Amino acid sequence: MSASTTVYDTRVTAVGAQVPAFLDHGIIVLFAHTAPPELHDISVLHEAAVTEDGPLPGDTIVIGPADAPEHLEVLAVGSVVRDNLLNLGHLDIKADGRTEAKLPGDVCVRTGPLPTPAEGDVFRITREQA
Amino acid sequence: MSEYTSAKVTAGRGGWGGPLTITPSAERPLIASITGGGIHPVAQRIAELTGGEVVDGFKGSAPFDKLAVAVIDCGGTARVGVYPMKKVKTVDIHATSPAGPLAQFITEDLFVSGVKPEDVTGE
Repeated sequence: MSASTTVYDTRVTAVGAQVPAFLDHGIIVLFAHTAPPELHDISVLHEAAVTEDGPLPGDTIVIGPADAPEHLEVLAVGSVVRDNLLNLGHLDIKADGRTEAKLPGDVCVRTGPLPTPAEGDVFRITREQA
Repeated sequence: MSEYTSAKVTAGRGGWGGPLTITPSAERPLIASITGGGIHPVAQRIAELTGGEVVDGFKGSAPFDKLAVAVIDCGGTARVGVYPMKKVKTVDIHATSPAGPLAQFITEDLFVSGVKPEDVTGE
């Protein structure tokens, strides 16, 4: 197993009522727990411990219960993703299988169902060491 | 009581929607900047031209029913829909078009994108 470094590490604090509707579209929206209450309905809220970098293609998103998370390879990253994540704790994960992001805020992963987030879940972005 | 005036916000290069006329009122006085890194210059300019009260949505309170406009830096999925869904006029500084699960709510009379400070003019 090769060494990897964690560039973003956070824990889910709450899951908004509209999150399942976004999951049906293959989308997970994250916002920091400090986001305006107006955004809480659509968001997976979280409190980050490590905020060193945004995702890059080839990174792995580790998401789900701490003892059995899913691993999703990052296929593509839009131009505003890093700023949104580091400034606002905001990320849009799309299970669209694209290798070029369609929208500037998209983080693209393989198609297929995304895990249903729950309070206490981990969310990590890991990067293989060169 | 404050006197409010109107500002016109036009889509910038590659942008979509609008133009929107923003007129704060006693009921809806707030120009909310729902953006990273503090008050965005577009929100600042709308506030200066209209007399509205600019607020950083990530620091202060910006309830839907108090907003004259929401200025966002959305990459196309979430905030672009949340504010129009609540019938709040929405200005995205990124050049996005209707998309995402809330795309049905993103209409030309409520949403304009690709906006820079020079796309905001007095009326």
